[in-house]
Amino acid sequence: MKKDVNAENIEFLSSGLIAPIKKWGAKWSLWAVHLVTSCCGVELAHAYASGYDAERWGSLNFGMMRQTNLIIVEGTITKKMARALRITWEQMPDPKFVILIGACGIEGGLFWNSYHITRPWKIIPIDYFVPGCPPTPEGLISAIRALQKKIESGEAKTTAKFRETDLAKLLGTEVGKERKPPKPPLKIAEKPEIKIEPKEVEWEFGKKLIEELKNKMPFAEIFAIDINRIYIKTESKFYEKVAELLESEGFDHVKSLNVIDLPHENKFVVECSVSSYSVEELMPVIVTFSVEIPRDKPRIPSLIRFWPSIDYQEREMHDFFGVWFEGNPWMGNKFLLAPEVETPLRKDFKLEEPSYVLER
Amino acid sequence: MLSYLLEMFRQNSVGIPLITRKVVLYHTANKIAYIPPLTSLFAKIPILNLIVALIFWKPFFAVLFAPGLVCILIAILFIIWFERKVTARVQWRYGPLEVSRNVGGIIQPMADGMRYFFQEVIVHREAHKPYFLQFPLITFLPVLLPILVIPAGTIYAINTPYSILVAIALISLIPMIIVAIGWASNSKYAYVGSLREAMMYFSYEIVLMIAAMSMVIIYGSANAIEIVKEQSTIPGILLNPFAALAFFVAIAMATSRFPFEIPEADQEVVFGPFIEYTGIIFGVVMTLAYEKLYLLCMLFSILFLGGWNGPFIPPLGDLSPALWLFLKTIGLMMIFVFFRTFYARYRLDQALKIGWSKLMALAMVALITGLGLGAVNVMGWL
Repeated sequence: MKKDVNAENIEFLSSGLIAPIKKWGAKWSLWAVHLVTSCCGVELAHAYASGYDAERWGSLNFGMMRQTNLIIVEGTITKKMARALRITWEQMPDPKFVILIGACGIEGGLFWNSYHITRPWKIIPIDYFVPGCPPTPEGLISAIRALQKKIESGEAKTTAKFRETDLAKLLGTEVGKERKPPKPPLKIAEKPEIKIEPKEVEWEFGKKLIEELKNKMPFAEIFAIDINRIYIKTESKFYEKVAELLESEGFDHVKSLNVIDLPHENKFVVECSVSSYSVEELMPVIVTFSVEIPRDKPRIPSLIRFWPSIDYQEREMHDFFGVWFEGNPWMGNKFLLAPEVETPLRKDFKLEEPSYVLER
Repeated sequence: MLSYLLEMFRQNSVGIPLITRKVVLYHTANKIAYIPPLTSLFAKIPILNLIVALIFWKPFFAVLFAPGLVCILIAILFIIWFERKVTARVQWRYGPLEVSRNVGGIIQPMADGMRYFFQEVIVHREAHKPYFLQFPLITFLPVLLPILVIPAGTIYAINTPYSILVAIALISLIPMIIVAIGWASNSKYAYVGSLREAMMYFSYEIVLMIAAMSMVIIYGSANAIEIVKEQSTIPGILLNPFAALAFFVAIAMATSRFPFEIPEADQEVVFGPFIEYTGIIFGVVMTLAYEKLYLLCMLFSILFLGGWNGPFIPPLGDLSPALWLFLKTIGLMMIFVFFRTFYARYRLDQALKIGWSKLMALAMVALITGLGLGAVNVMGWL
């Protein structure tokens, strides 16, 4: 941002002959549009409900940006949400103000080095920050009061004073030199594996069902892992065949689709759980079938022609792991993530390393 | 020419003893000390006397002051504050307060109005620009024209035997303009909102008209002055309670009060037809529903509550009946906005179902009652 929009708004309000009226109107009518992205929204609800009642100061909680003049950004802004935030801000008529509440909005808070987070103050100009995780309703109300004072007097004043301390002395480091905190102890298993073993259970219908399935798919390894839970291990070339047979058996919907990353063995495990809504005996039964695919060439046929509801789950797995489901028409489009983020759930994805530099 | 105009204005001027009579301070045996009347201050100045006479000319006074523009403004400012305050009190909150602590924040709508006045007006690229900016101003036509035919006691612009019919016909034009606003906004939520407005329009309008007609049949006249004269002993709400109930619910539907706040539902279609408006133009269109509420409440009090019947207050003169009508109207408006605090919102299909089945049946019962009582009235038994 090149222009200082905040200063422009204040300047507009405090110029001209009728400046007192303009300032009075803006001061007592800070209608808030709130952008709830995380838990701080609960605190905003408190602030406007009985008990705290921010409407006493003329601030009315409103749902739309065209007719209001204050945005309250509540918490984490992801890279996809950043676009919505910017659009909201640009659609609001001038003079407009922004209050940001929560630690996540300031430096990311809990999610500071997440693959998909951004800093709201890099996207829109912000008048007041309310730190806290989450901040109290009193904090939010005092920010609204501070904004009113800012509109009236024209200068921004902080409402809290913090004690100052000499970080260089405390940390024992020099100014301008980058320093990294010690790494947490990592325990690396030599050969991690997911053990899925048959279990002896008393389940008459299950035994019958497994026998039936075994007759139909002689190429697969089928066993019960618990009551009402059946596991099928097979090779990737039989993936579609298994799905087709299960669908004809009466399993009519997909519960979940998982991909497990095993970088040591250079493979992905694709796990699909199906169940039934239409056949009464199969309703409590969940059948999981898994195949292994090579990690450097992760391609597998899509099951969208058997179960259309698998569409979103395949797109999600494609976003997170880069697995290409052949036959799904939406492959290659980003579904959940911002365009610049690639395969964040692969185990070799590089996150931002913690480090700090003292500046003076 | 000017003297002719002056004479015309003065012959038909509003008589308010408080400002047109002289105020006597004291009088002894042969001396009288008095303050001259305010209007006579300008009586000899050439142009000013014409302006003062014009202001107190009854048709002009009716449209501009009571029951016209100034009364609408006062009613809107009060009712918006009252709506927020009563909602807050029901929810165990204070509501608007700190802007003026000692009078309970009653100037809060003025602060909001000032803020709207100095906010940017955005005309988005897709809007049909001329219409988008014209329609909010055109809305004043169907809002102010009914004032010409709705009298407030002796203050009226046009005394016509068709006053109730003309007023309802003109008020029925307001939804047309809302639909036109939705079209001019050219946005999907505005489109959905104006579609809902059109649907609602069809479901309440017939009921509203039938309910009003049944009262007109009872009194044997559509002239508001005669209707109020007929009610000097029994108010219309006791004569035909079915018509009153049908008219009441139809008003709630027509002005999108809860539980029928469907076209503007801000949780669903974010203010519907008015979504794209900003700044002072939004201020104008937002008050549209309240203006319509004011007009319909005035009609309700004329048809059912005895209009301006009330104890005569001598110092106010012609303003006294206008004051009674205004108080009744404000009381009704307060009841309507109070619904916001405890009603949920109907779905569109539910509202349409009510409008076309139960409410229509109620209106039919009201019409039959009206026909019966009208026959009795014609025979002279009432």
